[in-house]
Amino acid sequence: MITNPLRDPRDRRLPRVPEPCALVVFGITGDLARKKLLPAIYDLANRGLLPTNFALLGFARRDWADQDFAELSRDAAREHSRTPWREEVWEQLASSVKFVQGSFDDDNAFDELAATLGELEGSHGIGGNAAFYLSIPPSMFPTVLKQMQRTRMAESTSDRWRRVVVEKPFGHDLASSRELNALVDSVFSPDDVFRIDHYLGKETVQNLMALRFANELFEPVWNGHHVDSVQITMAEDVGIGGRAGFYEKTGAARDVLQNHLLQLLALTAMEEPVEFSAEEIRTEKLKVLRAISLPEDLRTFAVRGQYEQGWLAGQRAIGYRQEEGVDPSSTTETYAAVRLGVETRRWAGVPFYLRTGKRLPRRVTEIALIFKRAPHLPFADTDTEELGNNQLVVRVQPDEGVTLKFGSKVPGSVMEVRDVAMDFLYGEQFTEASPEAYERLLLDVLLGDATLFPRNTEVEASWTVIDPLEDFWEGTTPYSYRAGEWGPRAAEEMLAAEGRRWRRP
Amino acid sequence: MTTLWDTTGSAVVKELAAQRRTGGAVLSGVALTLVVVADESRVDEAEEAATIAAEQHPCRLLVVVRRQIEAPVPRLDAEVLIGGRLGPGEAVVMRMYGRLALHAESVVLPLLAADAPVVGWWHAAPPERMSTDALAVISDRRITDSAMAQDQRKALRTRAEDYAPGDTDLAWTRSTSWRATLTSTLDSVAGRRGEPVIVGAASIEGDPGSATAQLIAGWLSSRCGCAVGVVETTRTPGPSGVDSVVLQLDQDEQVRIQVDRRGGAVISQPFRPDSTVALPDRSLGDLLGEELRRLDPDEPFSDALEAATGVSGLSDRSPVREHVWFDPADPEGTNGHGNGHGSAGGSRTRKGPAGKAPAGHATARHTAPTVPADSADADEVAEAGEHDEGGTGVTRPTSTRSGAGPSRSGSPARKRL
Repeated sequence: MITNPLRDPRDRRLPRVPEPCALVVFGITGDLARKKLLPAIYDLANRGLLPTNFALLGFARRDWADQDFAELSRDAAREHSRTPWREEVWEQLASSVKFVQGSFDDDNAFDELAATLGELEGSHGIGGNAAFYLSIPPSMFPTVLKQMQRTRMAESTSDRWRRVVVEKPFGHDLASSRELNALVDSVFSPDDVFRIDHYLGKETVQNLMALRFANELFEPVWNGHHVDSVQITMAEDVGIGGRAGFYEKTGAARDVLQNHLLQLLALTAMEEPVEFSAEEIRTEKLKVLRAISLPEDLRTFAVRGQYEQGWLAGQRAIGYRQEEGVDPSSTTETYAAVRLGVETRRWAGVPFYLRTGKRLPRRVTEIALIFKRAPHLPFADTDTEELGNNQLVVRVQPDEGVTLKFGSKVPGSVMEVRDVAMDFLYGEQFTEASPEAYERLLLDVLLGDATLFPRNTEVEASWTVIDPLEDFWEGTTPYSYRAGEWGPRAAEEMLAAEGRRWRRP
Repeated sequence: MTTLWDTTGSAVVKELAAQRRTGGAVLSGVALTLVVVADESRVDEAEEAATIAAEQHPCRLLVVVRRQIEAPVPRLDAEVLIGGRLGPGEAVVMRMYGRLALHAESVVLPLLAADAPVVGWWHAAPPERMSTDALAVISDRRITDSAMAQDQRKALRTRAEDYAPGDTDLAWTRSTSWRATLTSTLDSVAGRRGEPVIVGAASIEGDPGSATAQLIAGWLSSRCGCAVGVVETTRTPGPSGVDSVVLQLDQDEQVRIQVDRRGGAVISQPFRPDSTVALPDRSLGDLLGEELRRLDPDEPFSDALEAATGVSGLSDRSPVREHVWFDPADPEGTNGHGNGHGSAGGSRTRKGPAGKAPAGHATARHTAPTVPADSADADEVAEAGEHDEGGTGVTRPTSTRSGAGPSRSGSPARKRL
């Protein structure tokens, strides 16, 4: 049934614009809200992707008037926005910015919030639709969610939707994530819960699906017959910043491995979805996550590390234990590497090496498929001494693109073969013009498109992988590595044990 | 950057290859070739826009400036840039004088990125019939701008009469933000009602002479099945030529969108307070960038163009044009060049077997004898450029391809090891 005669499926110039709605942000004064959320909202408005009737509602403890909040939002948006600043766009947005002051356990504040939302329905024509963005520590979730339940703000009905956006971490182990999921799902219906993993909003992750499923070239070799091993790396050059309190309790495995790396693994290893829809993609990802196996010898194949002082990018960096707010005898890991298996017909026997760490030489995230050597080389041994394994590397960030590494003849009269790399790089501006992850994800929330959001069962399946690792590491001390190194020696030995080595990203 | 004065097409191909080798890894993959046809007075404007578009869509950029067709001696000046002023990719700006301007394709063909789509953009008055410009014949997509014309409505009509699928016009691109706003407003009406919306009538106030306003009217009428006109207003509308749009809906409701002159528009709809949306004027580069996103025929455009001009059957036409020889110095075709051979040759340059195209190019043979000699050389250079040490006129047998030599000498060397 065509409800809008102006909508034409052939007309692909017209953007998808959400229905009239409000976005309610809890913890609007936080870092994330200021640096990512508010700029993303401005950028969406500037690109004409926000609905004609839209309201932004901030909720925080500070005692602010609407103007103060508008002022802060404006500065934040202006400083961090991606698209050029246009005052008139902001002014239009500012007229629908509201602020509600209160603490999360204050019944009156939530009554006021509910009332404000009701007012906006009339004055700004948001039609009762609202998305709640919980930019707050998980420990606050129960309080806030219960308040929302009490004021009946979370109920989706046939003529309005209510959605909730949750940031990672989604719990700290299987039990706590189940608890959290149960809590969120009891207040909102599971379909209305959007768990943000901003890595999944990156263009390249979607491009991975295009690369695999839109081409004939790659899928035939995308399996254990041709792939020797897979390496997924997410390296950061920064330390823990000011997040000592959070990081001490979390560590690299819970912070990155559990969500980003396992999601990248799922996207790499999954079968072709029946169609490119949220439900089908989640189904395939979940199958992979459930098929993940842990190595028996965890001592060799699950390594964690902690950075010591060292030199990074020409500057002295202090060790993790010397960071402010960190226990001087802390055993929290800042590096984790693990060898996983995916027990499916396609991947049986192919090791998936995952690693992540802080204070590594450079910031890079990539997925590398290392192919087997050719079964027979009709050349003399000396001709192919420098020939390595073929590699297909999907670079997620920075320099989003794809690299193909293969052997090529060295020019000259002698037959020599060595590795060369062929690069596909999105133009620099190409990535700039492609929507920033938060923008894309926020828009998807407002549109109700859950393709890029992990489901609660996925989160739980991920914890099932991580929990045994955490149990094994419990009470042990991480290996140390110098800031500016590619992780501890034990991680090198982990691959060396099977005759492989890490690719230098 | 290198500037080549009074040069040949083959020298340009060679220079491009040389810069690619010395310039390092500046190019990251090519999605298309953008051929820009510009007047000398608009070259800067066109370059700026093409650069912005090239940053979004990696492409090889070829700018063709046709000058002084009456000049007695044909001449080509070319500027070759990689990763410079004209964005991250490869770019060549060519100025063609004399009769060469009528055979621009002879220079452009060897410069096209291999097997990538070709987009032609006329930032100049486009030919009345696209088929008379060989550059339009080799383009998979052709972008014109009717808003540049003195009489925009006449220009639209010309485009409609000449239309072939794959043609598009920047006057249409300028309507996108208006159309998006209208559509999302109706979405919100439909969302509130929970049932379909029917548009009974629509009216546009603005500049009836604006191609964009006419296309929005055409689009509305093609989508809603009612006649939509553009009514002159006393207010001066912006570049889109539209000041306000009113849609009469069923259930006696009305939606109105009115420009607020501050880069936005006010939306009035029933049961909702007025709201403002951003409706900014977009730069030429931004418009061009939108055009390069998709290269398939734009059916909503042909529908809107049909409705706006009354010319019918647009989308049923063949997307392939045959080149028709047309000499501006001899518009009547009295000296016998207006012949069928030229047209056949021109069309085959794109669709026929690759190797035969240059040889079959009858028009070039007739009018500018120096050019075919050069273009034959250019093909040789394209295949084996680095082995040909500037030997002009040295024509090797085609069997000595560049790949054959080294690999043959390579295998005995291996056996010796």
